[in-house]
Amino acid sequence: MGAMIIASLCLVALGAHWVSGPMVSVVVLALVLVLGSVLGLAVTGGPEARRLLAPYGLLKPGMLWLALFFLAPVWSLLRISLSTKESRFSVQYNFSWAFQNYSTAFRDFGKQFEHAFVYAAIATVLTILIGYPLAYVIAFRGGKYKNILLGLVVIPFFTSYLIRTIAWSTILADRGVVVRVLHAVGLENVFEWMHIMDNGKLLNTPAAVIGGLTYNFLPFMLLPIYVSLEKIDTNLVNAAGDLYSSASRAFRKVVFPLSIPGVFAGTLLTFIPAAGDFVNAQFLGNPNTTMIGNSIQDQFLKQNNYPVASAMAAVLMVSIATLVLLYTRIFGTEDLA
Amino acid sequence: MSASSPKNQMTRRQFLARSGALGALGLSLPAFLAACGGSGSSSSGGAESLFFDNWPLYVDPTADGLTGTVDRFMAETGVKMTYGEGYNDNNEYFAKIQPLLGNGKSIEADIIAPTFWMAGRLINLGWAEKLPKDQIPNFANLEDGFVNPPWDPTGEYSMPWQGGVAGIAYNIDVTGREIKSVADLFAPEFKGKIGMLTEMRDTIGLICMSLGIDPSKITSFEDAAPAFEKLAQAKADGQIRAFTGNDYTDDLVSGNFAACVGWSGDVLQLGKDSPNVRFVIPEEGGTRWCDTMILPKGVKNSVAAAKWMNFCYDPVQAAQITQYVQYLSPVKGVRDELAKLDPELAENPLLFPDDAANARLRAFATLSEDVEAKFDEEFSAITGA
Repeated sequence: MGAMIIASLCLVALGAHWVSGPMVSVVVLALVLVLGSVLGLAVTGGPEARRLLAPYGLLKPGMLWLALFFLAPVWSLLRISLSTKESRFSVQYNFSWAFQNYSTAFRDFGKQFEHAFVYAAIATVLTILIGYPLAYVIAFRGGKYKNILLGLVVIPFFTSYLIRTIAWSTILADRGVVVRVLHAVGLENVFEWMHIMDNGKLLNTPAAVIGGLTYNFLPFMLLPIYVSLEKIDTNLVNAAGDLYSSASRAFRKVVFPLSIPGVFAGTLLTFIPAAGDFVNAQFLGNPNTTMIGNSIQDQFLKQNNYPVASAMAAVLMVSIATLVLLYTRIFGTEDLA
Repeated sequence: MSASSPKNQMTRRQFLARSGALGALGLSLPAFLAACGGSGSSSSGGAESLFFDNWPLYVDPTADGLTGTVDRFMAETGVKMTYGEGYNDNNEYFAKIQPLLGNGKSIEADIIAPTFWMAGRLINLGWAEKLPKDQIPNFANLEDGFVNPPWDPTGEYSMPWQGGVAGIAYNIDVTGREIKSVADLFAPEFKGKIGMLTEMRDTIGLICMSLGIDPSKITSFEDAAPAFEKLAQAKADGQIRAFTGNDYTDDLVSGNFAACVGWSGDVLQLGKDSPNVRFVIPEEGGTRWCDTMILPKGVKNSVAAAKWMNFCYDPVQAAQITQYVQYLSPVKGVRDELAKLDPELAENPLLFPDDAANARLRAFATLSEDVEAKFDEEFSAITGA
């Protein structure tokens, strides 16, 4: 066990750039030696030693993965978020418990946090409203076409995320197909009244951003719901019918509760990435609809302000984790699909 | 969902052996990467190569029976040239190269095209290499106005690529009328259909001039504060559809923008295919700028880079670039050469501003480090998400 901890520490040290220059090879050497000796012990040692080591050997891939791809990045993110830059264009960050990065993140980007969570929440609800009936029809009425129907849902997503989103900006453009049709049919005023359109625009509105999020994350909602619906034994529905339950009651009392694990998983898979998304707001939004992902991207890639960007990323991570924990407490189920 | 056949099932022993092997692979990976890190990509022998990373729509392509400048250069010198269009925004590009140049590593491009103020920053940071002027005899063709410019007082580090004017670009199909003034950008009838550039000196510069502030005389943030207020208000009102880099051209042509702040040559080029797209220097005046060619620190192919710079400063070659890109050429003698190719263009005041036009153009003042930091911060608070 000790050996595993040393190995993980070595990896975190490498990942977080604690060490530099010749020290890197020393750490790598230590890593190889520690793991080599454990392996050697396992190979040469008697059955007793092997039996003792086996559980840790099994843990190894998971622990190494966690150390290299989770602990090290999070550690370096938190470190940079409390650092200050030496000078304006410096690429050196000095760790100095600079909590003012966090107050900047809250003070200057409150609106963007709000947009991120509100838009992601609306998009999540919309994906449930669209995805659930679709998954239901495919699972129960799809028959032999099930796989084709699922394929039709997934195939558009073989195209790059970016291209699909940019394609929407062409479709929704002021002189694009959709706006022209709405204009011809006379639905423009209804859409304006519903605040989906703004001054004759469909593109670059909050509605377009939410629509883009909904579209892009639909499969992440649909597929888990489909899986949990697909598992339901139709005899249960028939049994409810035999007990004089109406179809809608059977749905409410039997089918829906059994599909909740799917909805739960789908919600997590949709809300978490949607809250951090910046692509949709970038291409479908306007300067007043920017989400926190845009701000983080801007701070990282244009302003070169890694400390504040890291603080924002850390705040986003913690707030999403809190929301998810709350959600799990309230709606959580034991058996996730 | 489907039960796997026994054949596909792994025994516990196999699983252990395989995961052990995987783990070992994972372990050797960092060491392997570390071993690889040292060896940079060294240019293979043979033909010289060159990589120029420039802004979009900024050189004549090989098309319509004409051979583009890049191809003519390659044919004449045998240099294998890669021409990139990686620039969309100065700050964005700076952020891309900063982690490398700031850590003393070299970047892939041999020539980059920062705008004058960014060139000044790179030179001050020591991230630019001196030009091998002895290999660029055509340097003598540099227009007088560009000799030892404020951003490169000794003239040792930069050569202008093209100059230009920022003014108003508009799509007359959408506006339904001619646009003449910056005030039109703030007209309620175009709400949500106005684009602004993320290039602070052009956007703020134009607004300053419309408010009667001379952008060439700005020394502190307070001087330009009214322009920032006006921009922030317009953003809050939903007047502005997007802040863009060089990609404003797409929205302008498709009609999503009624009007936007734009660059003269881009719009003149677009006008060839879409006659609805027009450019005007606003009544209140426009800003004047120039993009430069710089050799980033640690440049690999400086000899080939010098050949390219020399080639482009030959008035005959430069005239062909000008004919296509329609910007202000920094090369002497271009007007005469252009007159042979396209007499009408040689008289266009947007390419060769006369005194009357020049009087309406201003270059944004060179800001001191602290003042620039304040400007950037305030501007990104408005534009940058």
